[in-house]
Amino acid sequence: MRPAGYAVVRPGGRASFLVHRRAFAVTCVLAALLAAACVAYLCVGESFVAPGEVVKVVFGRPSPDELVVGELREPRLALGLLVGAAFGVSGALIQTVARNPLASPDVIGVTHGAGAVTVAAMTYGVTSYTALPYLSIAGGLAAAALVYVFAWRRGLHAARFVLIGIGCSVALSSVTQLFLTKGDYLVAQQAKVWLTGSLNGRGYAEARPLALVLLLAVPCALWAARAQRTVSFDDDTATALGVRLGRVRFGLVALGVVLASVATGAAGPVDFVALLAPQIARRLTRTAQIPLPAAALTGALVVVVADLLARKLFSPTELPVGVMTAAVGAPYLMWLIVRGRSRSGEPS
Amino acid sequence: MTTPQPVPAQPTPPRREASQPVPAREAAPANRLAARGLTLAYEDRVVVDGLDLEIPDGRVTVIVGPNACGKSTLLRALGRLLKPRNGSVLLDGAELACVPTRQIARTLGLLPQSPVPPEGITVADLVSRGRQPHQKWWQQWSESDERLVAEAMERTATSDLAGRLVDELSGGQRQRAWIAMALAQDTDLLLLDEPTTFLDIAHQVEVLDLVRRLNRERGRTVVAVLHDLNQAARYADHLIAMKAGLIVAEGPPGEVVTAELVREVFGLASVVVPDPVTGSPLVVPGAPWQPSGPAAREAQDAQDATATPHP
Ligand SMILES: Nc1ncnc2c1ncn2[C@@H]1O[C@H](COP(=O)(O)OP(=O)(O)O)[C@@H](O)[C@H]1O
Ligand SMILES: [Mg+2]
Repeated sequence: MRPAGYAVVRPGGRASFLVHRRAFAVTCVLAALLAAACVAYLCVGESFVAPGEVVKVVFGRPSPDELVVGELREPRLALGLLVGAAFGVSGALIQTVARNPLASPDVIGVTHGAGAVTVAAMTYGVTSYTALPYLSIAGGLAAAALVYVFAWRRGLHAARFVLIGIGCSVALSSVTQLFLTKGDYLVAQQAKVWLTGSLNGRGYAEARPLALVLLLAVPCALWAARAQRTVSFDDDTATALGVRLGRVRFGLVALGVVLASVATGAAGPVDFVALLAPQIARRLTRTAQIPLPAAALTGALVVVVADLLARKLFSPTELPVGVMTAAVGAPYLMWLIVRGRSRSGEPS
Repeated sequence: MTTPQPVPAQPTPPRREASQPVPAREAAPANRLAARGLTLAYEDRVVVDGLDLEIPDGRVTVIVGPNACGKSTLLRALGRLLKPRNGSVLLDGAELACVPTRQIARTLGLLPQSPVPPEGITVADLVSRGRQPHQKWWQQWSESDERLVAEAMERTATSDLAGRLVDELSGGQRQRAWIAMALAQDTDLLLLDEPTTFLDIAHQVEVLDLVRRLNRERGRTVVAVLHDLNQAARYADHLIAMKAGLIVAEGPPGEVVTAELVREVFGLASVVVPDPVTGSPLVVPGAPWQPSGPAAREAQDAQDATATPHP
């Protein structure tokens, strides 16, 4: 008997992989949608560029629109894609370990740690755009580590983890507020933009380290997807199935925290992506655990569409993307939940 | 903690009963699962203190005892879910704490008292996860996985529920799905914590028969916590009666279950008669609406002497 809805792929030898049919289909559709959104992103802006020209530029052919598409929009799109994917996977991992659909890197301290350190650094006159991302990454990692240590008491208790995370986040955000009111007006202005999460004026410089981290995260994610199958049980059942819970949970949280920290360093805390993307993905695939590839694609899609709207709707003013992500993702998630409730059997 | 009847500290040699095919490994010098000087505690509350225990190989061992006496705690320690404060659990002669947990999972399966499934999981998916300890990330589904999951679902009559969500099942259906998952794990030793809770009487009997068949046909060693003393007496080869973290008596049910023991362990006056079907001891409580308190108990004792269940 094979679990309903799964196909077994035997690529050869004794290797075999369980593939959730619906998750696979949804992932393909999401990838297609994302490709379409990327083309739209490159077409739309202060000036419209025909899709044909956009494709030419992307594939390195000469085109009159090379400057606008290749130099201005493409780097920003690349960063948006990576940030969205990183937040999507991060949220999925944190929600898995916390066994809580409301958990996310924001909840366990990453965002607020990064925010507090970055704003503090800005107040003390650090303006270098090479130093700030690394400071913010350090802040995010440190805050999450602190939360993890506080929540540890003969094992990681899911509810404790979330509650202590919320406590630390509140404390850290008051530190941020302190620096915001203390610093001068211009610093506060700049800090506010950073705190909302923005892709404005950013590009390959920020995208490169994030791309590297995501690349390294791929093999880890293969392991994580496998581990998700058992950590989503209660502690006793998971251990009885041979899972070393302490290590596996640490690995999952560490991967999620690193991804979220580096993404936050690159673009600031882009609100709600990590919270919404995994839940949207899970409702679309109807799997028992949050599917990582679908969560990554959903995250990227939300960020790209949100930034497209943020650039276009109030053009020529370019809003920070963080203002739009919730507006793009939240209504869709609510629709999925409402629709799920009315159909029997759908987890809500 | 003291009990009137001291615990046999030495491992009892496995008793041989008629009617039983004896697995080959019974000849081995020691039992595969045993505990030595086991002390179990939560925070600062000691639940089990200095307990020695042998689980006879190839037998069905049933643990009984009043609520909160430490049955689940003991079972969790036997299944390395709870680290002993002191002493050790030995599996095939090796201390459990020193064996990789995944390796344990291939030998010893455990179904906790109230397991929690992943949200939105289907029955077949749940059962298939029992195969996890036997799989590698690049070998996620083998022929034997396929066969053992199908067999586990057939045996527990959950094949028809394969595509249903576990969250949507009745208590009994859900319990059978969990048992199927434990069976799919295909371990030589199986620990079950109150596997018949939530089941109606027919399904209780079905599950216990299943346990017995696993034992008789496959030579599996089973340890089950049961709350029904009569079912324990019917299905156990080896019965362990616990009270307040201590083993009050152990052995074949025919020797262990007496009115004296029931009073001592459960504080219940009763009459023990032979089960009309199996001949195993059948505990008939002394009187309905049993009040508690010393005065009432005396009254019960007096009534007990008349050896009639009618007041
Ligand atoms: N996780 C826990 N933390 C603290 N105390 C516990 C825990 N689990 C059980 N206990 C306590 O240990 C004692 C034995 O419990 P348990 O082994 O579950 O009893 P039972 O025999 O009913 O299965 C009880 O007093 C119970 O309150
Ligand atoms: Mg119990």
